[in-house]
Amino acid sequence: MPDAFSSPNQVRESLHDQGYVCSSEIATITYLSDQLDKPLLIEGPAGVGKTELAKVVAAATGRELIRLQCYEGLDETKALYEWEYAKQLLYTQLLRDKLQEVLASAGSLAESADRIAAEENVFFSMRFLLQRPLLKALLSPEPVVLLIDEIDRADAEFEAFLLEILSDFQISVPELGTLTARVQPLVFLTSNNTRELSEALKRRCLYLFLNYPELEQEIDVVNLKVPELDGALTRQAVEMVQGLRNLDLRKHPSISETLDWARTLAVLNAERLDRGLVSDTLNVLLKHERDLKRVQQRLEPMSGDGPEYQGPEDEDDHTRYL
Amino acid sequence: METRLMQFARALRAAGVPVSMAETVDAAGALTALGIKDREPFRISLRSTLIKRTIHLPVFDELFPIFFDGKAELPPDMDNALENLSDEEAEQLALALSQLKDNIADALRRLLRGEPLTRQDLNQLAAMTGLDRARNMRWNEWMVRRMQAALQHDSVRRAMAEIAKLLEQVGFSKERLDELRAMLQANIEAETGQLQNFAGQRITDNMQARPASEDVEDLLHAPFGRLGEDEMNVLRQEVRRLSAALRSRISLRQRRQKTGTLDLKSTIRRNLGHGGVPFTLSYKRRQKKPRLVVICDVSTSMRYCTELMLGLIHAIQDQISRTYAFAFNDHLEYITPDLAHGSAQEAVDRVLVRMPPGHYSTDLGGSLAEFDREWLDLVNHRTTLLMVGDGRNNFRDPETGIFQEMARRCTRTIWLNPEPPMLWGTGDSDMNEYLPFCDHVLQVQTMAELTAAVDELLTR
Repeated sequence: MPDAFSSPNQVRESLHDQGYVCSSEIATITYLSDQLDKPLLIEGPAGVGKTELAKVVAAATGRELIRLQCYEGLDETKALYEWEYAKQLLYTQLLRDKLQEVLASAGSLAESADRIAAEENVFFSMRFLLQRPLLKALLSPEPVVLLIDEIDRADAEFEAFLLEILSDFQISVPELGTLTARVQPLVFLTSNNTRELSEALKRRCLYLFLNYPELEQEIDVVNLKVPELDGALTRQAVEMVQGLRNLDLRKHPSISETLDWARTLAVLNAERLDRGLVSDTLNVLLKHERDLKRVQQRLEPMSGDGPEYQGPEDEDDHTRYL
Repeated sequence: METRLMQFARALRAAGVPVSMAETVDAAGALTALGIKDREPFRISLRSTLIKRTIHLPVFDELFPIFFDGKAELPPDMDNALENLSDEEAEQLALALSQLKDNIADALRRLLRGEPLTRQDLNQLAAMTGLDRARNMRWNEWMVRRMQAALQHDSVRRAMAEIAKLLEQVGFSKERLDELRAMLQANIEAETGQLQNFAGQRITDNMQARPASEDVEDLLHAPFGRLGEDEMNVLRQEVRRLSAALRSRISLRQRRQKTGTLDLKSTIRRNLGHGGVPFTLSYKRRQKKPRLVVICDVSTSMRYCTELMLGLIHAIQDQISRTYAFAFNDHLEYITPDLAHGSAQEAVDRVLVRMPPGHYSTDLGGSLAEFDREWLDLVNHRTTLLMVGDGRNNFRDPETGIFQEMARRCTRTIWLNPEPPMLWGTGDSDMNEYLPFCDHVLQVQTMAELTAAVDELLTR
C-alpha cells in the first residue's frame, strides 16, 4: 500500500493546511503509525483534539473517515456486521418458484439436497451482509481512516474482540471465512482514560498522550481558527485560559472552549479584557456551577476601581485576574 | 544499537514499566522507519512504542537521557589550570600546597590539573559508597553526594580558600588567583556531572541485572500492620492486578445474565436453521448497573491500612462506574471526585492530605448521621453498601438506627473490618452493635483476605 505520508515534516505541513496545529511529537507519531501499519492510541483530557486529529488526517490524505463511536453495550453486530435477515427471508419467499424449478428435475432426495446446497451461497453472500463501520473499513477498496472513538466506554470484551482486527487487519465471519483488509486502513483509537485499557490492546498500538497545548501553540491555534480576533487580545485570552487550567476545577477549559470564548469575544467586538467582560462570558469557558463561583471569587478583589488591562507591559500578570 | 535497546527495555521493566517483547520489536521497527540520526524523532519513536500509560512517561523521561545521551562514556570537560602558570607561580603554588594535609593537597592538585576520574576510580567509589547495591533511581542524588564526600569536594573548596590567602601574601596576582579559582570551580562541577551520569548509569545497570523480586505470595498473607515501604509497593501493584482481574469477571457475569425483552433479530438468526420457525427465543441483555456506596474510615486507628483500602476503592471505582465513595474521621466527605483522576497513589494521597487523621476524633455515628441527612437518596434497591472500618467510635452514639435504615434500603450490606473478631466489642468498638444489620462481615487483615472479600462483593 502506498504510504500516506513521506516524512514527519510533511505530516505537519499537510495537517497545518487543514487547520490543525500539531507539535513535532504528534507529527512524528502519526508518521510512524502510517509507516509501521500500527493503530495509534491517543489518550488525554477531553477536548484537546484527539478526535480532531483523526478527522484532519483523513482530510489531509483525502481518505474517507469511518467512525465507530463506542458506548457501553456495543457489540459485534453493531460494530462489525449483521446478516440482513428480513431481506434473506423476503428473497426466499420471492424465489420460491425458481427453487421449485431447480428441484423439479431432481431424481432423488439426495440430489435435491445437493442442488439446494449448491445454491446456498446465494443466501450467505455479501449481498445480505449489512456492513458496520469496522467491516466497511476493512473491505473498502480505497484506503480509509478508521476512528474508534472513546474506546474506554466500550466493555472489556469488545476490546478483546478488536484485537484480531488491530493486529492482523482481518476478521472471521463464520459463514464467509476470514476477510482480510484489501488496503490497510489508518486506525486511530481515542480514550478519555476513564478506565485502564487492557495490556493486550495497548501492546498492539502506538501510544500518544495529548495534553493541553503550550501557550504559544494555543495562541497559534486561536489565530488560525479565529483570525478576526485582535492579536494582543488573543494572547491575553489564551494566557487567562492557561491560568484557569492551573486552578483546582472540576473541569478545565479545553481547546474547543478556548475557541468558543475567542469567538464570543470576537462577536462582542471586545477590545480589552476587563473584569466585567470576563465575568459575563465566563460561562463559555466553565461548565460547572462550582467552578464558575470559584473563579468569580478570584475576580472579586479587582472590582474596586474597575481594573483594566494595562497594556502589553504586564503580560505576565494574567494571573492577577484569577 | 539492538543491545542498547534491549538493555533500555530491561531497565524500564526493572523500574516497573511493563515492556513486552512485541513492544521492543515495534521500537526497533520505528527506529528503522525514522533512523537514529536525530535525537528528537529517536526519542519519540521509543516513547510511543514502549510506553503505554501516562504514569510511566516520567520514568521514561528520566531513564532516556541516562541511556542514550552517552555522557557516561565520555570523559568530562575539564581544563588544566596549571599549564598557564609561570615557573615562579608554580613554585609559589607548590609551596602553598605543601602547607595542606597530604590527601587534601593531592585532591586539590588533581582537580586543578583537571584529571578526570578513571573507570577504575569510579568503580572503587561505587564499591565504597554502596552504589553497587542501589537499585532505585531515587537514590541517585544521595549517591552522588556520598561520592562527592569521598572525593572531598568540600574540603578542597575550603583548602583553596586557605591557600588563596597564602598566595596573596606571597604576591600572586589577583587576576591569576581568580582565574585559578574559577577553573577549580568549573572542574568540580564537571566532575559532579561525571558522577551523576555514572551513578545513573550504574543504578540502571543494577536494576536490569536484578529486577525487583516478585515474591508476592508471602506478602499476601502478611498483616497490613507489619508491612514495610517496599512491601507496600508490591501490594499496591497487587491491587492493580486485582482490579484488572475484576474487570473481566464483571463483564463475564454481565454477559451470562439473561433478562429483558425479546430480541427479534437475534431470535431470527438463531432459528434460521429451523426455517425461521422460532424454536428458541433469545432476549436482549440488560446492562446490569450496580451501584456501590463505600464508606471508609480513615482515622488514626485505621491508619496502617487506609492507604490500601483507598487504593482498593480507587480500583473498584475504575470498574463500577456508579461508585459513590465517602471517607470519614471526625466528619464525612465525598471523595469520588478525588479518586476519579490520576494514578491510585496520587488519588489516595489527595484524600489523605484533605483528611489527615486526628487523635481520638473518629465519629462514626456522627458521620452516619451526616450521610443520612445529605446522601441517603443514594441508597436504593440497586445499591450495595460497603463499610470499611474497625467500628471504633470513641464511645459516641453509634446511631444504629440510621445504620439499620441504610441496611434495610439497600440490597446488600458488607462490612470489611481489619480487626480480628475477638476484638470486636472491646473498648470503644461498636462492631457488635452493627453486626446484626450486615449481610456479610469479613475480616480483612491480609491482602489474601481482601482479595477474597472483593470476590465476595462482586460475584454475588
